[in-house]
Amino acid sequence: MAVHAAFLASTILLLCGMGPCLAAAHSPSGVECVLFNEEYMTCMWGSRETLTANYSLYYWYENRSPVMECKHYLQDQGVSIGCYFNQSEIIQFQPFRVLINASLGSRTLKFLSKPMELQDLVKPEAPVNLTIRNMSSNQLQLTWTSPYPKAQCLEHAVKYKSNKDTNWMEHQVKGDIFSFPSVDYEKYYTFYVRSKINSYCGRTQLWSEWSVPVVWGSNSTSKGSSHGHPRRAIDVPTPLLWRCAGQGSMSPQLFPGTAEEQLHWFWIHTVLIPIASCLLLLVLVVLLVRMERVWVILMPRIPNPSKNFDELFITHNGNFQEWAGVPKDVVESFRPNYSENICYVSELPPKDSCEPLWESGNYSPSVMPGTPAAPCEHSPYKNSYVGL
Amino acid sequence: MERMIIFCMLFFCSSMALTAAPYKIVKYKQLHKTITLLQNTVKDQDVELLHTPENPVDECLFTAVACFQKGTLKLQPENSKVNSTFNQAITVLKKFTLRDSGKQCESSCESYEKKKPKEFLKSFEKLIQKVIRHTRAEGY
Repeated sequence: MAVHAAFLASTILLLCGMGPCLAAAHSPSGVECVLFNEEYMTCMWGSRETLTANYSLYYWYENRSPVMECKHYLQDQGVSIGCYFNQSEIIQFQPFRVLINASLGSRTLKFLSKPMELQDLVKPEAPVNLTIRNMSSNQLQLTWTSPYPKAQCLEHAVKYKSNKDTNWMEHQVKGDIFSFPSVDYEKYYTFYVRSKINSYCGRTQLWSEWSVPVVWGSNSTSKGSSHGHPRRAIDVPTPLLWRCAGQGSMSPQLFPGTAEEQLHWFWIHTVLIPIASCLLLLVLVVLLVRMERVWVILMPRIPNPSKNFDELFITHNGNFQEWAGVPKDVVESFRPNYSENICYVSELPPKDSCEPLWESGNYSPSVMPGTPAAPCEHSPYKNSYVGL
Repeated sequence: MERMIIFCMLFFCSSMALTAAPYKIVKYKQLHKTITLLQNTVKDQDVELLHTPENPVDECLFTAVACFQKGTLKLQPENSKVNSTFNQAITVLKKFTLRDSGKQCESSCESYEKKKPKEFLKSFEKLIQKVIRHTRAEGY
């Protein structure tokens, strides 16, 4: 009985011991997933100190994909503490859920996460290529570039301190440039920058790591100098204004240089060129209206030949010969000086070998020897005349 | 005269075209601001529930935006004090258009679940965030 009791007690104790152990293995915070620069993602559910069980992770996108198991576990001394997802396994703007199975011996506990929106868990990489330029009037300009591909989605924070200050000053910046107003050349400044996805692209509070620092000024111990790159090497530092307006056919890579140059260029394109072309148009119109010569050259008159014939129609009243200058005797010669009667003409009948009776009797026709003469009874010649 | 003027107008317009950049991102950002503003001024209780597209696929973006615009017409201000802000915001939302990709969308507006106005606006905000995310710097 005592053995039984002892056995029971020890079993209970063992189970009780295992229970919290298993429960503790299920770290209280749950799963934390972070997308690093939208290139890969890690989901961690604890650390080596708190976990002792065998873990396996299953994930899916709601209404979008079947349940899949993690292909690449992150291990720490033999215990899985996280899962690695590569870019092809990540879909943003779809609810993402994770199920973790913790097994210790024969017991298995399941933990189901809430639906996660992956676009709210992006942690961009720290900015690089921090450069300081010395502007006129004691002003410093800090520029940088970010390895995150979509610059319109980022906001930045700049942290700086001089060697004489005790506290860090932090400023929020929307573009890729920070202007430091009044620099003291006796002091030695250090600048850091970090980035975050802004509210236009997601609802995250994850800042990136602080960048590599950049320094400026002179130290009492060392001659500090700006990590100045030459001007041309800057890659796309543009103020928001420029990005808003100058994105037509011009890519920023065509115009390396400082933000000031690019701002200048922007003003030329949006303001100067339209005004210049308006003025040109105005000048041309004025020229056209005022200068008759220019007008005539551009718009020549349609020739009107009626002027040449004014004389003919007005002075000489349509008399072509008078206008043409034909001499008077030639004109007269064409006019007829006789009168003509109408002359009737009719057809002669064929001859019937008969002698016609001559009425006028002017002469008697000689009788040809050998031809028999026969009188013609009717002569068609009676009433017709031939002659002038 | 007409020829000359037409030629000059063409020249002028072509120079303007160079400078007129696609302000798409600025437009989308303005829309996002408007939606955030609206979330604070809209009435959430005792109002009609609205069809809310959730995480639409790329083919359905245009349909989803149209659906959201239809729903905004039924929104009401919380109280009379915020009337002017509310009306201004609604006007901006009505004017917004997204370029139709032409792809076929399988779900219609009525197929989406109905939700309260604040949830509706949150989903709209998410949609615009997605659009801004996927807009390249040179335009859409």
